[in-house]
Amino acid sequence: MTKEPEELRDLLQLQVSRLGYGHYLVLYWCAQGEGMSVKYNITNCFDDLKHCGVTRTKQTAVGVIETLHVLGYVDVKDERNRKNIYITRWGAKALQQLVLSNRYETKESLYLKEIQS
Amino acid sequence: MMAIGIGGAGGKIAAKLDSQATLVNVSETEMGKVNGGGRRILAPVHAANGQFRGSRKNPSIGEDAYRTIRREMKELIRGNMVFSSTGGGTGNGITTGILKDIAAVDEIAVPDKTFFSLVLPYDKLESAEFVENSINFLSGPLATAIDSGNTGNIVLFSNRLKFTEKIAEDRYNQMMVDSLKVFLSIPDKNDSMRLLDGHIDHEDFALYISKSFFNHFSHFNYDPSVSFEEQLEEHSNPLLLPPEAAIEALFLLEVPEGGDPTIFYDILEYFASKKVSPIYSVVENPALRTPFITVSQLYSRKPLELVDDFTRINETHVQAKVEKSIEQHVVLPKLEVNLDEEAKRAGKEKGVGEDVLATLKRLGKL
Repeated sequence: MTKEPEELRDLLQLQVSRLGYGHYLVLYWCAQGEGMSVKYNITNCFDDLKHCGVTRTKQTAVGVIETLHVLGYVDVKDERNRKNIYITRWGAKALQQLVLSNRYETKESLYLKEIQS
Repeated sequence: MMAIGIGGAGGKIAAKLDSQATLVNVSETEMGKVNGGGRRILAPVHAANGQFRGSRKNPSIGEDAYRTIRREMKELIRGNMVFSSTGGGTGNGITTGILKDIAAVDEIAVPDKTFFSLVLPYDKLESAEFVENSINFLSGPLATAIDSGNTGNIVLFSNRLKFTEKIAEDRYNQMMVDSLKVFLSIPDKNDSMRLLDGHIDHEDFALYISKSFFNHFSHFNYDPSVSFEEQLEEHSNPLLLPPEAAIEALFLLEVPEGGDPTIFYDILEYFASKKVSPIYSVVENPALRTPFITVSQLYSRKPLELVDDFTRINETHVQAKVEKSIEQHVVLPKLEVNLDEEAKRAGKEKGVGEDVLATLKRLGKL
């Protein structure tokens, strides 16, 4: 194996180890939303994080998404006056590691649950 | 060689041995409990509700923390000494990560091998969790790393004497460090004292400590009129786990000024009877009144043999706990459990995370 992919794997591991609970939930809900072909936006994300008790302020929710965006784990697209969030392939890899490590407890997105029902 | 102290226990010992020791821990709080040392490396690990302030005796938390400093540690441990306890979460977990990485490499050059000093809990008086963590450590990552031949010597300190003799922690740590210093000073003594026979230079010593075996060293005043075998048995190092049959050995005999330099032949004969050819040297130490010997034996032990004593004690712990529960005559309420429902519930709970991975695969993102 060449050195570069190993270094990239280490970088991904380092990044993932620094992700907090809020980051995990947002990645999880984005993936779940995409699986249901539902657009998941920043406002939904703030409502869900607030409902789970992760944060009470929109600034923090935006901060969580901003971090994921900077890391390349999500894309944020302006669509019809909404900022919709899409998980990237790197985000999927990060989420996979978090899921397999069982580090965080998964909580439901109220928004996605309502749509499903 | 630089000392690297991992976790609370490892940090305290390393800082006593080397004022420039590098200390590694998972939180500022834990790190603050260790005095002295030089550089400090924080390996943070996050929980659902913030950063962990310790490893809760849980090695998997320590191993997660290791991932955040892995690259740095891989460089740092080269040719150096690692100190860690096997009972707690931080030392055990981070050292597990180190050992796994060492075992995964094809070959490590002699100067780059790492010397490990591990502190094992005293199984009779320390928590069952410590004992269980140690069993998993000895039979898992440590065994694999030794099998790979990529570690240096491994010194197994035991907390037994600390508990049986009721010794304060700080003093006990000092005793371990003092004993280790006697062993590590062998090449320097060869440099600074008049050589009477044989020679152990820094290169010989470096090669010896780079071998992937357990190292039991002891030091005592040597009486040439008494059989060496008896003296060796009597002066087994009480701070270490007892040794098995030696595969290789090394000794330094210091004799007083004008002392008989030939008394070492009896020691060579003893080792020859055990089919071991030791590396040795005899020096003159004017500060001594009686001969003094520092002897090290390298031995191998199958992991299961090594944990055998622990396991027996661990089983006793469990039995005692069960007996205690029975004595308390606790009446357990009868639970109506529908196994099918429970299985479905458990399956659903476990499957939640994996469902989303299946979704990502379907979307072509994984």
